[in-house]
Amino acid sequence: MAQMTASNPKISRRELKSRIPHYAVLLVTGVLFLAPVAYMVAASLAPASDTLAGFTVFDVTQWGLHNYSGVASSLSSDSTGHLWRFFAVSFTVTVAVVGLGLIVNSMAAYALARLSWRGRAVALLAILLILIVPFEAVAVPMFYLYNDARNTLWIQILPFIGNALSIFLFYSFFTGIPRSIDEAARVDGAGPWRIFWQIIAPMSKPAYASVAILTFLTQWGSFLWPVLMISDPNLRPLPLQISVFAGQLPPAWGQVMAFGVLLVLPVIVVFLVFQRWFIEGVASSAVKG
Amino acid sequence: MTIGTGLSLALLLSACSGDSESSGGEESDGAIEVWAHAGQAAESEALQSLVDEFNSSQEDVTAELTLIPEADYTSTIQSTSAEDLPEVMEMDAPTMASFVYDRKLIPLEDVVSADALDNRIGGVEESGTYNDATYAVGMFDVGLGLWGNKTLLDEAGIEAPTTADEAWTVDEFDTYVAELAEVAPSGKAIDLGEANGFAAEWGTFTTTPDIWSAGGTLMLDGEADGVLNSQENVDALERWASWKEFADPNTSGTAFPDGETALTWTGNWMYPTFSEALGEDLVLMPLPDFGQGTKAGHGSWQWGATPTAEGNTEAAGAFLDFLLSDDSINAMVEANAAVPGSTSALEQSELYGPDKPLELFADNLASACGSEDVTEECIAVARPVTPGYPTVTSAFGSALLAIWGGADVQDELDSAARAIDSDFADNDGYQND
Amino acid sequence: MAAPAISLLLLFVAVPFLASIGFSLYNVRLGDPRDPSFMGLTQYVRILTDPDVSGQFLDALLHNLIFAAVVVPVQTALALALALLVKKNLPGMGVFRSLYFLPVVFPIALVAIIWRLILARGDQGLLNSALAFFSGGAFGSQDWLGSELTALASVIVLSIWQGCGFQMVILLAALQQVPPELYEAAELDRANGWQRFVHVTLPGVRTTLVFVALYTTILSLRVFDQIYVLAKSGGGLNEDATRTVMYEAVTAAFDENNIGRASAISVVFFLIVVVLSLIQRRVTTEKEG
Repeated sequence: MAQMTASNPKISRRELKSRIPHYAVLLVTGVLFLAPVAYMVAASLAPASDTLAGFTVFDVTQWGLHNYSGVASSLSSDSTGHLWRFFAVSFTVTVAVVGLGLIVNSMAAYALARLSWRGRAVALLAILLILIVPFEAVAVPMFYLYNDARNTLWIQILPFIGNALSIFLFYSFFTGIPRSIDEAARVDGAGPWRIFWQIIAPMSKPAYASVAILTFLTQWGSFLWPVLMISDPNLRPLPLQISVFAGQLPPAWGQVMAFGVLLVLPVIVVFLVFQRWFIEGVASSAVKG
Repeated sequence: MTIGTGLSLALLLSACSGDSESSGGEESDGAIEVWAHAGQAAESEALQSLVDEFNSSQEDVTAELTLIPEADYTSTIQSTSAEDLPEVMEMDAPTMASFVYDRKLIPLEDVVSADALDNRIGGVEESGTYNDATYAVGMFDVGLGLWGNKTLLDEAGIEAPTTADEAWTVDEFDTYVAELAEVAPSGKAIDLGEANGFAAEWGTFTTTPDIWSAGGTLMLDGEADGVLNSQENVDALERWASWKEFADPNTSGTAFPDGETALTWTGNWMYPTFSEALGEDLVLMPLPDFGQGTKAGHGSWQWGATPTAEGNTEAAGAFLDFLLSDDSINAMVEANAAVPGSTSALEQSELYGPDKPLELFADNLASACGSEDVTEECIAVARPVTPGYPTVTSAFGSALLAIWGGADVQDELDSAARAIDSDFADNDGYQND
Repeated sequence: MAAPAISLLLLFVAVPFLASIGFSLYNVRLGDPRDPSFMGLTQYVRILTDPDVSGQFLDALLHNLIFAAVVVPVQTALALALALLVKKNLPGMGVFRSLYFLPVVFPIALVAIIWRLILARGDQGLLNSALAFFSGGAFGSQDWLGSELTALASVIVLSIWQGCGFQMVILLAALQQVPPELYEAAELDRANGWQRFVHVTLPGVRTTLVFVALYTTILSLRVFDQIYVLAKSGGGLNEDATRTVMYEAVTAAFDENNIGRASAISVVFFLIVVVLSLIQRRVTTEKEG
């Protein structure tokens, strides 16, 4: 499995020297990849007038935290929405979608992979079909059908819990587990629920991790659905709010960039803490897929 | 109409919406919700303090303000069913007719006090009236003009006109922007507000004066073909697009007040920012004359009450009366420098009136007319009053953006005209029943 | 056990999809108290043959296809190159892996806002400043997002920047599973670097490459967020040169309140996705067979 943190290999100085061109390429691409991030961070610290003044934005001597206090005070009333609430909404929605999604979809996958019930074959076929229907294809009719649920928290959560891709990933994983394990438990008198929760689920951690990470990344960045459904500032998730904030006149770009840093910071922290799972999860989903 | 499945599902699941701040329903009679657009920061702040002041001035009614970004404001009202709307909402003047058509507004004759209605200036009264009823009341009306930086104008040796009669001809304007680009620090002569998005209402609001001044208009008798794509309009918009070379993109939002450009094409609400930054250097001029005299837009943000307020019209009325008081109007126009919407506030105004800095805007409004009967004498023109306006402005805005990007003007306007006519045909010409 | 997931998928995928077929036959307007009138297939005829409507729709489709035709090969090749670069067990590789992966955690709405400032027209933007600086002023300021020629290319660049790290990680995992013995054998055969790449590396990761390409194609068809953020709220994006199918559907529904046409676009969009998926499935099974 790929690992983000390569073990620290001991290599000779001479070999390192022969690698200089390799490092040079890495460094140049690295700088190009990092530049937009560096720009965001610099602009969040620089005075507002430097955001759009070429390289002046990187003048460290001018840096300060005023944009961060600025964004906190700009977004601190009920009519504009509170900064902490945008985080709370995004956090609640993401946690609910990921958490409930893991439970509901792994259950469905187990039922499809292991249990025999009427309609199983049809359901499996339907899941495979739905797999190729992107959410975008049903966004418009949903916008119309569920219009009465505008500006609620649940309409941001419920549509994204059941997920054909998650079911499919769990299904592939479960079919790889030897049936003899279920059989043994059944002989011991365990029912399907107990077999699933006490035996299958605990041994499927990698599948749970990969589905959790994929769902987390998609959900944290969710934009299209909130654009259509959410106008109440107290229920806006972060990606929608940053586009709203960036559209305010006159634009406070320094504050927008500070907001951007705050928006990705939690994800970066999660990423650093769970680095290994992240990579394994993403990679294994591909290998299975 | 509501689709059964959606509704029943919503009812079924409404128990899941454990959110304590979910709107509507459980409020006491004295609480009203208020929606307003968030555009200029200063305007929003002024409105917020007015709401706070209203809430502390009496104990019967509490207003809860929600600010919705200007870019999505009209779409949001359009997407919200009448029963989910707040009691009181703001709307841009030209969208009023479509909300009446969708039964999202109630007449205000029995909601707002007669004194407040009688005190309105002509422009505000006109933009609030549809089918002989008052559906909206405005705290102010709007002025659109050309603002100049005197230092830069002097440097280029250009004199600024101050009255509508002296407006530059469009040929003069062409020459001057080229000359001013030479002296402006940014190398660009003018900010036309492209950062606000020409596809949005901004595009329609700021470019329609060009076509009216050229002798064209958007629609006549519910038809756009042959009107919107007329030769006058094509010529006018070709001129407009040719200014891109000299136009500052103004991504920073402060090009003109920073002295980076010599001219800017925008409304009264920028006056406080401009005058603070430029002081005596700021001059206000009429928009260029394309042949039929200078023109300007009119009709601005205004207030209405929704069917949600029925049965509780006293609370909505109290709030609207408060907004229409001279004190409130003065507080608001201090933030956005708009033309005060009541006759009494206009008379006391520090900005409008003879020899006051924004006299031009008040003069423009004094000769106002509708977009179907634009004459040479008329200066402030209202955008078309029709329930199909959202389609009109959306089609026209898309065309503007494409034209600004270099597309063929005739092709774009032809296509916009057909799009408008086909939408009107689909909806039986938006006849009210 | 499968019931919760299946009922959610029914409510939020199947029902809306079937409803969209119904809506597409009527003149449906949100908030209109009058009953919708039947229009038959008019909406479909318009989006496919009426020049005023179909012009925009077919342009949008073309942009999706161009986007896919560029992003799929370029992003996959770049991701493979990066994966090869960071695969070596050398000091500091962990840092570079994290660095290339970093943009993946950025919501695309935020990515659009950052790049909007970088690409700003005039000499205020970071890119124009950098180009002027490195070319000694010879390279004039470009209107990256506004010009017909560079608008779509700009969107492609920022999308690749955001998405590339995801594929890199997947390919890295696949590369690490290629048995080292194969490389040793190739070295014994005196194969040079290029020959090793063509005969060992590529066949070793072929299945993963196909998966990555499929995944990216589907993503390319769904492009919406970045276009919306850049075109609305004054991003100055040339709408005509970048509109996508989803952008058309959302603006028809949300801005023009034309749910009927938006539904027709959604249905056509769905059919296109299905057809492309079938073609891809056929191509990949042929390759594997």
